[in-house]
Amino acid sequence: MSGKVMVIGGGPAGLEAARGVIELGYECILVEQRDSLGGSPISASYAALTPDMEDTEVAMARMIDSVVGNELADIRLGNSVTAVEGSAPEFKVTLQSDSGSEIVDICSVVVATGFKHFDPGRETQKYGYYEYDDVLTLVDAEKMLKSGSFVRPSTGEAPKTVCFVQCVGSRDRQIGNQWCSKVCCGVATKEAIEIKHLLPDCKVIVFYIDMRMYGFWEDLLYWKAQEEYRVNFIRGLVSEVTKRGDTIVVKGEDTTMGRPMEVPMDMVILSVGMEPSDGTLAMAELFELPLECHGYIETKGGPLNTVQTPIDGVFVAGTAAGPADLEDSISMGGAAALKACAFIRRITVTN
Amino acid sequence: MSEHEYQRHVEKEHAIIDGIDVSGIWNRMWVPRETTDFDFTNLDKVRDLKGAESIGWCYQCAQCIGVCPVDNVGSYGPRKLYSKLQNGMDLFTHSDLWMCTTCNNCLRVCPKGVDMMKIMPAVREQAILEGNVPVELQEMLQNVAEYGNPMGESARKRVRWMKKLDEPIRDLSKEPGDVDVLWYVSDYFSYHPRGIDAAQAMARVFNRLGIDFGVLGREEKCDGDSQRLCGESGLFEELVEHNHAMFEKNPHERLVVSDPHAYNAFKNHYPELTGNEYPVQHYTQFLAEHIDQLKQMFTERFERKVTFHDPCYLGRHNGEYEAPRTLIEAIPGIEFMEMYRCKQQGYCCGGGGGGMWLDGLTGEHTSERLSENRVREAIMVGAEVLVVCCPYEVSRFEDAVKSTDNEGALEVMDIIEIIDMCINNKE
Repeated sequence: MSGKVMVIGGGPAGLEAARGVIELGYECILVEQRDSLGGSPISASYAALTPDMEDTEVAMARMIDSVVGNELADIRLGNSVTAVEGSAPEFKVTLQSDSGSEIVDICSVVVATGFKHFDPGRETQKYGYYEYDDVLTLVDAEKMLKSGSFVRPSTGEAPKTVCFVQCVGSRDRQIGNQWCSKVCCGVATKEAIEIKHLLPDCKVIVFYIDMRMYGFWEDLLYWKAQEEYRVNFIRGLVSEVTKRGDTIVVKGEDTTMGRPMEVPMDMVILSVGMEPSDGTLAMAELFELPLECHGYIETKGGPLNTVQTPIDGVFVAGTAAGPADLEDSISMGGAAALKACAFIRRITVTN
Repeated sequence: MSEHEYQRHVEKEHAIIDGIDVSGIWNRMWVPRETTDFDFTNLDKVRDLKGAESIGWCYQCAQCIGVCPVDNVGSYGPRKLYSKLQNGMDLFTHSDLWMCTTCNNCLRVCPKGVDMMKIMPAVREQAILEGNVPVELQEMLQNVAEYGNPMGESARKRVRWMKKLDEPIRDLSKEPGDVDVLWYVSDYFSYHPRGIDAAQAMARVFNRLGIDFGVLGREEKCDGDSQRLCGESGLFEELVEHNHAMFEKNPHERLVVSDPHAYNAFKNHYPELTGNEYPVQHYTQFLAEHIDQLKQMFTERFERKVTFHDPCYLGRHNGEYEAPRTLIEAIPGIEFMEMYRCKQQGYCCGGGGGGMWLDGLTGEHTSERLSENRVREAIMVGAEVLVVCCPYEVSRFEDAVKSTDNEGALEVMDIIEIIDMCINNKE
């Protein structure tokens, strides 16, 4: 028996799981298909983290540094898991990289393969994401905010009016995504503040169904944006984005006024939600992990055990198990590390 | 009913276009309903005013609307104001600026602390500076500035109610000096016919209790609290200076007031300007302390079904709910019943925050007066007498009894009048 834990995915949940495993004194193989660690916050160029708005690179570097260089950590960048043989505690996992493939022996696994951002052009074109240059996603906006220059893609000029459209690809039976993605309200509000930082005179509106500002996000982000930065929140979701001449207009209803709206916007930012990533679905198949009804990796134990999958020795952390914010992903990473190591320890002690 | 402007149709009752009379229903036009722009300039103008910042904190939970007394008879409340501001309303010139009675019920339930008691005076002050003030209110403000009372009566006439009364009352404007109780009579008790009834009752009760009291007489001026809430901070400051000087001139152990608005002013707002604390009590609080003595003095029974209207400025603003009830319940023979909306949840009479002098304007935007709504409630719970303890209210509710065709069904009396009726005045 190898006595090793494999963590698949080098994002926040995977990094925290790897850190946990090595801090508990076990060997960890950290597999990341990309060429760098940090997961979505890094690969999708998040400017700052929600909710505390710390610079993403600084914050993620701290996590990465706690794993890289540790003698118990075997980090495999540019590697994918392509085959799994056997069962815990004697999995034989095939790792594939540009330089070839290798079979490694492991005892337990933490799947932390994350999510992907909803593609707002996939099911419906009602927001014109692929039609209009000035219709962006939260992710596109992050990139611009990170660069420090927030301008209309169509003109290269600073926008005078920007709106966020919440719940794009979430809470939607027609699309098939019936879940709330949990973070978009906070992320949009954070971006709204960042836009106001860069462009204090820009009118920033968030159109929403209900603002889901869990816990401390309520006053740290939502109240702050409204009270200090004068971001305007208007209840009623934009139904479609269309054009009047050269101008983009958003249509919907201001529900607090019971009044239809057809308002020109310089930029529209779609608050796209989460979906299971391709890696998550691939790992589910290889490890024979059942999916829960929304298509994420199933856990057993309900709300009281967030990381145990129905398969012995396989644990899940972060958004591979469903929409989660950073706090929850990190907490799950730690919990999964603990259980993955405990799984090995139980066998070692019994033998 | 007040509707949002864009929802309203424009209908000219008398329209003459190019010399042709086109009056009639068929010239009705609808204003387009679509919002085509969110212009936050006017919202920001309000938010920029010192004191009015909190209007920008509303997150539309709408708890305020559930308790806003004006919304019961129209369409109003902080949440709606905020929404309209987001939709570009110019509050500085809009009738909505004058509809709030500052009853404090919205702030009681507001999780975000949106404070109409600060927002309204701040915005109104600016509106007044720009010359946008309802005529009826302007008249009242001028009266107070010129004569020291909203009615525009002379200072000399302030003491006329005393002269028609065969009771010893020390007039401190003539005999200044130390006194145990300085009784601040207030405008409506001094000048209004029904207020005068109550003032005379108060003087008799004080004398029977053996209180050493005095009044400021012609040197008393309006306390200024409602004027402050109307946005006249300058006028308020003048009144504070005057009344404060009068209080200083006549050293007293207690300052007993007839009017909850005066109570609020002396307790909470005079100190902000003068740095003084005032030993102020509402008369119901003062008399509640003498309840044992009063009980022994009661010789008559008051066999009526009564209910009590909590004044906003005694109750919600200052937390006093018990003193008036202590007095009412001590009256022999009385059958007391609460209205549905009482104490913290009490309904507003419509007189606060300038409402007393805005019946014309509010009438155009509401289905009925708040006082009319309240009178119906009093009758609904089976009361024969609506008992009050705020000088604004006897006149407001008596008018409402008439306008709702309830004359004979409901009487309106100040607590002090009932006490006066029930104690032995032959002594």
